[in-house]
Amino acid sequence: MEESVVNRGQSGLRAKVLDAGLCTGCGACIDICPYFRTYRGKTSALFPCIVEEGRCFAWCPKVEVNLDELSNRIFGGPYDGLPLGSLKSLKASKAGPEAGSISDAQAGGTVSALVTFALKQGYIKGAVLTDREGLLPLPRYVDSVDDILRCASSKYTAAPTLSAVNRAVAEGRRDIGLVGTPCQVLASALMRSNQLQRDDFVDPFGLVVGLFCTWAVDYRLFEPFIAARISPERVKKIDIPPPPAEIMEIFGEDGTRMECSLEEIRPLVPEGCAYCIDMTSEFSDISVGVMEGRPEMNTLIVRTDRGERIVDEAVSAGFLEISDMPPDNLEHLTWAAGNKKKRALLRARERGIINSGGGKEPSYLLMNAEVLTRLTEEERGR
Amino acid sequence: MSHVTVDTSEGSTVLLMGNEAIVRGALEAGVNVASGYPGTPSSEIVETFSKVASERRLYVEWSVNEKVALEVAAAASFARLRSLCAMKQNGVNVASDFLLHLVGSGTRGGIVLVSCDDPGALSSVNEGESRYFARLMEMPLLEPGDFQEAKDMTKWAFDLSEELKQIVMLRSVTRMSHASGNVTFGALPDQPAKKAEFKFDGFILDPDEGVVISAPVEWKHQQQQEKVKKAREMFETSPFNTYSGPERPELLLITSSACNLYSREALKLLGVEDRVGLLKLGTTWPLPPKLLGKHLASTDKVLIVEEVIPFLEENVKILAAELASEIGTKTFYGKNDGLIPMTGEMNPDLVIEALKSILNLDYRAVPQEYEQTAQLSAFTGAPPRDQVFCPGCPHRASFFSIHNAIELDGRKGFVCGDIGCYSMAIRPTGFGVLKTLHAMGSGAGVASGFGQLGRFGMDQPVLAVCGDSTFYHAVIPALVNAVHNRANITLVVLDNSGTAMTGFQPHPGLDHNVLGEEVPAVDIAKVCRGIGARVEIRDPFDVEETRRTINELMDDPEGVKVLILRQACALSPQRKYVKNYSMKVDEELCLGEECGCGRFCTRIFRCPGLIWNKDKGKALIDEVICVGCGVCADICPQKAIRREEVAS
Repeated sequence: MEESVVNRGQSGLRAKVLDAGLCTGCGACIDICPYFRTYRGKTSALFPCIVEEGRCFAWCPKVEVNLDELSNRIFGGPYDGLPLGSLKSLKASKAGPEAGSISDAQAGGTVSALVTFALKQGYIKGAVLTDREGLLPLPRYVDSVDDILRCASSKYTAAPTLSAVNRAVAEGRRDIGLVGTPCQVLASALMRSNQLQRDDFVDPFGLVVGLFCTWAVDYRLFEPFIAARISPERVKKIDIPPPPAEIMEIFGEDGTRMECSLEEIRPLVPEGCAYCIDMTSEFSDISVGVMEGRPEMNTLIVRTDRGERIVDEAVSAGFLEISDMPPDNLEHLTWAAGNKKKRALLRARERGIINSGGGKEPSYLLMNAEVLTRLTEEERGR
Repeated sequence: MSHVTVDTSEGSTVLLMGNEAIVRGALEAGVNVASGYPGTPSSEIVETFSKVASERRLYVEWSVNEKVALEVAAAASFARLRSLCAMKQNGVNVASDFLLHLVGSGTRGGIVLVSCDDPGALSSVNEGESRYFARLMEMPLLEPGDFQEAKDMTKWAFDLSEELKQIVMLRSVTRMSHASGNVTFGALPDQPAKKAEFKFDGFILDPDEGVVISAPVEWKHQQQQEKVKKAREMFETSPFNTYSGPERPELLLITSSACNLYSREALKLLGVEDRVGLLKLGTTWPLPPKLLGKHLASTDKVLIVEEVIPFLEENVKILAAELASEIGTKTFYGKNDGLIPMTGEMNPDLVIEALKSILNLDYRAVPQEYEQTAQLSAFTGAPPRDQVFCPGCPHRASFFSIHNAIELDGRKGFVCGDIGCYSMAIRPTGFGVLKTLHAMGSGAGVASGFGQLGRFGMDQPVLAVCGDSTFYHAVIPALVNAVHNRANITLVVLDNSGTAMTGFQPHPGLDHNVLGEEVPAVDIAKVCRGIGARVEIRDPFDVEETRRTINELMDDPEGVKVLILRQACALSPQRKYVKNYSMKVDEELCLGEECGCGRFCTRIFRCPGLIWNKDKGKALIDEVICVGCGVCADICPQKAIRREEVAS
């Protein structure tokens, strides 16, 4: 029997991700070649490519993601499936007085404060953030505090943020800061681990800040949804307040506020989000999210030595204020993250895309079978 | 000046292309007006007229389309001048509505409609038959069987037309129009300036001085049929119908046009000229029954050799049936029994095969073994070559952007197209974006229809492309239709500053005509805006801006959008030999087949000016054929292709 040759380039990616409906448009495959392009939130392959093993496949967070390998690379140990991922500390946080006015930021302004601090201290030379034009997310490489603040606030639309990393790297930039959602952070971890064993490999990231994310919305569905209510150019800010609000708030430039129920929003979520096992950007240096019941605060998860050093220094320098996480909040966050993981794993296993190909066909996830069993069988009631 | 007028007197023999022979014949007949619309294989006729227009005091024009061209020629006839109108086969379809009324009204000065058909569709997307129009329109049809006849017959066609007061159709084919042969000249008339005058105040039914109209229809139609009868009688003795062969041939081969040449060659190669009679007909509609009857009576077996549809075969069979009591029953060979193919061009080999089968001959032009080897090596040895756009062709850049916009859009958009070099966008050279391809202007018309189907749930973006000449020819009505009926479409006008495919004939968008005179240019953008479309103009060589614009237009949910992509054809007089950039590949930067490129320029973009250096695994510029358009520098993902401005 002739063994089928697995394509680890464009055709493999097309078959297993794009055509399979798993793409969340993170942008990892964009702007590394003339084939993959993104337009209005959708990733397309323009022409067939002949490369058998390419970066598009290697960096995609929806195909052949070997969780143990990645965890070993970033954290020095195997993937154990903890709901909040590998972490050093977990705190409540908000921007400190030295961070300046961060009025547009979501919740406590922790992300803007951290990125600003890392830039000022030279940990990063610039950062890839997600700006927006109307409702269209616009990934940008920025290297000034003003631009960092311009990009503050959550977007909620799936964004090809990593395309800006690829462009920055092509321009020779290194020590890049990244603020990304879990799928983007997972892709960044794949980019950091020299998947293709290239001699000229460098890790381009100086700091990876991950955001909490339950799901994002597809721009092409979200834009007409919002446009039916308010002109997208007039949207100042969008917010999903912490549970149990179950609403999305839309603030207009003129001070108007509208809300719609999350029930209406969920049909706009890309199919790929349903298979995401990560709520807190587990492969970041630092992860930041909202805090239930405390809209002026963030939840801060420190995961790596690098993350810990930057957070500590930011606190000392007055850029960040931290306090202990209330136990109830921690319990609920853990429950919610574990639940997302379990639901996604059950769906993915049902579809046969975990540990599935026996090495011949690419899977979505490769992970320790015992961990998988534990995660999918654990009772997560509350 | 042209070699068709190198000698104005009688007797000299000159090598002429068939189309030039037609022109010389018309000049010998004292033609005054020539019109047409470019289309292979007819285009050289009007072009040749234009070269001698001043010396022969002609009015020559490229008309906006074939219908208008025929109307222009008809006006000259109504004013008692002689005129000729030239077009390719499907042009006759365009002209046919006017033609139907013209044959009803009748004509005055001699008028000849020249249709150059393209059997085998060498330069067409159809192999339409214009001969049937002669029968359908009840007008005489002449078909020259060699180059001398092309000249002589054209000259005579004007006399015939004046005698009958009816337009005469002269039909050529690619191998008659574009092949060359010796032609012995007749004298060119001394042309006193002829005064054109249109008389209309005579008796209403007076063919020379009444109004020119096809009504009263029944009476005019009877007149028209009388003209056909008169032509039939005249054709009985026409010198253009010739016979060679024995008095009682074993087989009678009836043929016309270029097939006359193939048949003569086949009979000679087989050495059966003493067994087979060759009846070459020059007047193929209406057929002269006495002449046909005489030859049919001389044999039992009849082979008809012609191209594409069995027009001659059918007409001969009808005559044979009518004459059966005099000539007896015949066995017919030809297309209906499958002996001769009903599609494509004919050639001597096909005639030989038919003759071998009927006469039971054994003949091989080449040994079987050689033939097999030759076929095999052609199949295995010759590299596959697809039709491609020329180096530096703006269409490649335009279709690259259209393709990318459609793919990025992701709603399975498609492009409706029509006739021009850009028809090749159905092939990989245009990234396969064309999904429908029909007649001149049909892209816009078909798109106008697709653009209404949103109400039935179609959510695919609809695009159309047309060329600049095609825009004037037939797109304007379709555009009016689309705007008026609120179709949601994007029309891309590929404006390359001329009728490029047929050889840069000027069109109404340009400020000069075929005679080199300054004329008012009709601006495409103004026309479109006047119709009510949203109009954008871009340079297709700016691929990213063009792509962005197309996406924006496709996103516009309302109405008709027109994008004019303006860049002259790489072979046009203004761009030929002008190199804006000298292109170089930086081999250090070129990724070749590696991740990040995958031979994008030579495998996907595929400008013939780019070569793949297999040994080095790098791209290379073919400096001999690169025209320096510079587009490849923008499509290279590594910026490894560099352009340097060439000092002018």
